[in-house]
This record gives sequence, C-alpha cells and structure tokens, in this order.
Amino acid sequence: MQKSNNKADIIYDDPRKVVAGALVETGDKNSDVIFVSCDSSLGASGDPFRQKFGERHFEFGIAEAGAMGQAAGLAVSGKVPFITAYMPFITYRCFEQIRDDVCKTKLNVNILGNNCGLSVGTLGPTHTIIEDVTVMRSIPNITILAPADGPQYRAAILKAAEVDGPVFVRIHRQKTPRLYKEGYEMTIGKADILRTGKDITLISTSSMISKTMEAADALAGQGIDAEVINAYCLKPIDSETILSSASKTKKVITIEEHTTMGGLGGIVAELLVKDCTAKLEMIGIQDQFAVVGTYDELLDYYGFTPEKLVKRIGEFISSF
Amino acid sequence: MPDLSNEEIKGLIEKSYKARANVLKMMKKGEGHIGGAFSALDIMTVLYNCILKHDPNKPKWADRDRFILSAGHKVMGLYATLADQKYFDEKVLWTYNSLNTRVPMHPDEKVLPGIEFPTGSLGHGLAVANGIALSARLDKKDFKVFAILGDGECAEGSVWEAAMSAGHHKVDNLIAIVDRNGFQVNGATEDIMDSALFEDKFKAFGWEVKTIDGHDISSIYNTLSSIPFKTGRPSCIIADTIKCKGLSFGEDKFEFHHWHCAPQEIDSAIDLVNKQKKEEYAKIK
Repeated sequence: MQKSNNKADIIYDDPRKVVAGALVETGDKNSDVIFVSCDSSLGASGDPFRQKFGERHFEFGIAEAGAMGQAAGLAVSGKVPFITAYMPFITYRCFEQIRDDVCKTKLNVNILGNNCGLSVGTLGPTHTIIEDVTVMRSIPNITILAPADGPQYRAAILKAAEVDGPVFVRIHRQKTPRLYKEGYEMTIGKADILRTGKDITLISTSSMISKTMEAADALAGQGIDAEVINAYCLKPIDSETILSSASKTKKVITIEEHTTMGGLGGIVAELLVKDCTAKLEMIGIQDQFAVVGTYDELLDYYGFTPEKLVKRIGEFISSF
Repeated sequence: MPDLSNEEIKGLIEKSYKARANVLKMMKKGEGHIGGAFSALDIMTVLYNCILKHDPNKPKWADRDRFILSAGHKVMGLYATLADQKYFDEKVLWTYNSLNTRVPMHPDEKVLPGIEFPTGSLGHGLAVANGIALSARLDKKDFKVFAILGDGECAEGSVWEAAMSAGHHKVDNLIAIVDRNGFQVNGATEDIMDSALFEDKFKAFGWEVKTIDGHDISSIYNTLSSIPFKTGRPSCIIADTIKCKGLSFGEDKFEFHHWHCAPQEIDSAIDLVNKQKKEEYAKIK
C-alpha cells in the first residue's frame, strides 16, 4: 500500500481504462482468453482487446441471455471468456444462464459487471443496480471480486483468468484514488487490513474504500482509532480476518454503495451471528430502488460522503 | 454418403425400439418424460450410430462432434442411446431418479460420460451449442455441433438470440434439429403458443432449413449426411414427429409429455412398443 498525506500526490485511475489494459495483458499471456461483448465493447473496456486480438472478440449484440450461453459454450471448449455489459443486463437479464450454464458447470467464464453501485445514477434505477452482490452471491461456485483502486482492478482481471471457475468482477464508473502499489497481486478469499485500529472495525468495499479511509483519518483526529478492512473478495469472504478484527474491537460497521440486504452488511452479519458478540451497524442502501441523481448528489443523499460517514460512525460509537 | 440398405435401416429401427423399451423399464419408479424421448429417439439413434464422429471409449476426444440436448427432459432417450453405445453399463439406467443417480430426469455432465452439457431449463442449449461451434472455428477444428430442441421450447426468446447470432456469425458447423411433435406440457403447441412457420423463422435468421419426417430413418440419415446444407450458413432440420412415438396409447397426447404410470403398466407398454417395431419393419420398402 502506498500512503500519502499530500492530496496533490494522489493518483486517480479510471477503472475502465485499467480493465482495458488488463484485458490486453491477460490476452497476451493466455491465447485462450477471449472477449465477449453485448454491444458493449467500446464503453466497457473491450476495444483495445478487440483491436489487438481480432477474432478473439465475439460480438453477440444486445442479447445477454444468448451471449452468456454462448460464452459458456466457448468456455466448455477451453476458452476463457470475459463477458461484459452494464451491470443489470449482465446479471439479472441472463441470471439463469449464469446459474445453470456457467456456475453449475463451474466454467471459467468471467463476468464483468460495469457501472456498479450509484456510479451512473442519472440513468435511473433500470441501470443503477444496487443488489448485484445479493443475487450473484446466492449462486454456488462463483467468486465475487470488488476492486477498490487501479492496481486492484488490474489484479482482479489477471486473477479472474486464472481462477478455475466463474468470477464476477464489479466495476465502478468513477475514477478512484490509488491505494495499492503498482504490480499488486490479488489473493482470492482474503480481505486486507488497510489500517489497524482498536476502537472500531470498518469493513468496506469497492468505491467506498477511499471514502472509508478518509473517514478513518478524520476519526483519528477525534481520538477514535478505526481499523479499516477492504473486503475486495466478497465471495469467498475472509471470515478469519473479519472475525478476528470484530473480536478485538467489538464494534463493526459495514460500508457499501449497495443494499445492505445480502450485500456486504448481510455477509458480515452472517459471519458475526455465528460466533462473535460484536455489535454491527450496516451503512448502505436500504430495501429500495435507488433515486436518480448525479454521483456526487447520490453520495450525499445516501450518507456516503466522508463527513457523513464520520458522523454516523461517531453516533454508533457513542451509543454504547 | 450412399443410402442406407434395408438391412441397415432395420438395424437402426431395432436399436431405436430397444431404446424405447429401455426407457419404459427406467420408468418403473412411476414417471418420466416419455413423450419427447420417444419423439426424438429415431433422430438420436441415427445420430449416434451413423452421423456423429465420436468414441465412447474417449468421451472427451477433442475432435468429436458434440451433441447438446437442449430439450433436456427428452434425456431418457439419450440415456438409452448412450448405454447402447457403451458409454456406460446399461445397469446405470435402472437407477433412474434414484437418490444420487447418474441418470436424473435432466442430464448432468459431471456424473455421466457422453453428456456434453447439463440442460433442463429450456432455451439454453442452442446458445451453448453455438458457443462450442465458434470455439471450433477459433481452434481450426472441423467438428460439428448438433442440438435437439423441442417445438414448445422455441417459445423461449433465448432460442432466437442464439439463432440470430449463429446466422450473423455464419456458423455452418452448427445444426439445430427441432423435434416438432406438436405437444407440450399443457396441450398442443399451436394452442399454447403457436410456433407456426418455423421454417420461415429460421430462414429469416440466416439459416438453411429442411423439413423431414422425423421417424423416417432414411430421410433422417440422408438429411444429416448433407450438412452443412449451404456453406456459411447454420443448418436447421425441422423434424415432424409424433409425441410418444411407438407407444400406441400415448401417441399424439400431451398427457404423455410426462407420464405418471403404474409399475404394472410397464410390461404391457413394452409389448406394445415391440409390436410397433414390427410394424416399422414392415414399412421398409
């Protein structure tokens, strides 16, 4: 991890550009890697791959159910497809194909869900899916990755090609400040402690990591020593790291740009209820369709700005 | 390829009707999707005995032709055919629908050699078959991929997504066989969701289409021997068939899509199937 106290030094990465580069990189390493698009190759990181590898790109049109089945057919013959589209269309629209054709068969189909969370909020609730983790994690055999920054996005793509089985990668639209070093390698089933602390455990993921880290800095100024865990691998979840931290601090808050119902909040609740006495608070979106707004407006509306996170975390701590 | 001799046709009828008798024996636990299994069995018999490039001793042979049973509920016919081909011991058939069986009501590729892909939910198989066919193009292999679909199944939109893609990508090593038996779970296909003009629909998506009698062994063989019908286009065979073909009291009855039977009905049903076999012999010209 690289840490800078000077905001001018912070590097911001565009997830789509990082993913585009990583797809070409993994395509170079493995000639079985192919790219499948649903009229989504340009906006969704596939164009450099398409230009470089030509026939290894398959365009299946605005027909995600058929595309997912065809990706499964390509994978059963040893290909390693990366299939991509807007988050709702590449999850809900083809959900049964994911379940039956990709996950039951445990094929190496890598599903890139674009524009997760609130990142395209002005497109409205048809495009703003805040339940993808909930539905996707219900399927056996799938690995779910939610990178937090540029190096993690690159590492997730490279790792997805190697994992024996389907991988679902959540890709955010907004630029993200870099936290990890270049060349970072991702381990499946792990979570990273980005910051150690003793007073409270903040478990966060994807786009919320940088906001959580800012909140933790501000909390330190108030004398609150927060531990921050990056749950970049939502399935399988790193229960050991989470339970160990929760046992230490006895207070846990999950933070996600997603519904807490079956999302990170639900995942952590499932862990804690079994063998930990820590108190849990879930910060996220409740059981509702997202309202419409720009990303910044929505961050404020749902209380995801560092300032609002600090307030909410402080209230939780002072409730004891 | 030369036409089949009368002796060869008789041999194929023998296999097809032996498979039907074995399907009935599998049903001794009281149920099974017999209607679609029987309507597709003559096609499956010709495929496995005469058309498919395959080796039961090497079910994962890289150059084999692939067979995807998109209408997965017809699988009893496939199980009986695969057992006859010695993909596994015939005794496996008698475990149909038992706890942890290798021959469940819908096929599972993880537990049974010869099953290429698990199916059961309708509308998936043609897309998977097209993906496999496209992989052959990437790997510069010349194997073909055959998929059997039900006519009722073709109400699923994903069938047409796959059909559109196969036409667009000019996948001429893909063959879709629509088992048009005219009935589905709740009644006649034309009453549930009229699938008329299949030929025109597939043609409109860029396929080359032929319609055959799906119980005429010679016709099935000659048609399957002339694939691709046209270079650069996927091939579609609309096979007009009879639901539950071979069991006289079940023929053309939607109630026999999934037959709940009493165990004591099985032996007399097998007798009827064997009687029908002799009538099929008599039809050989």
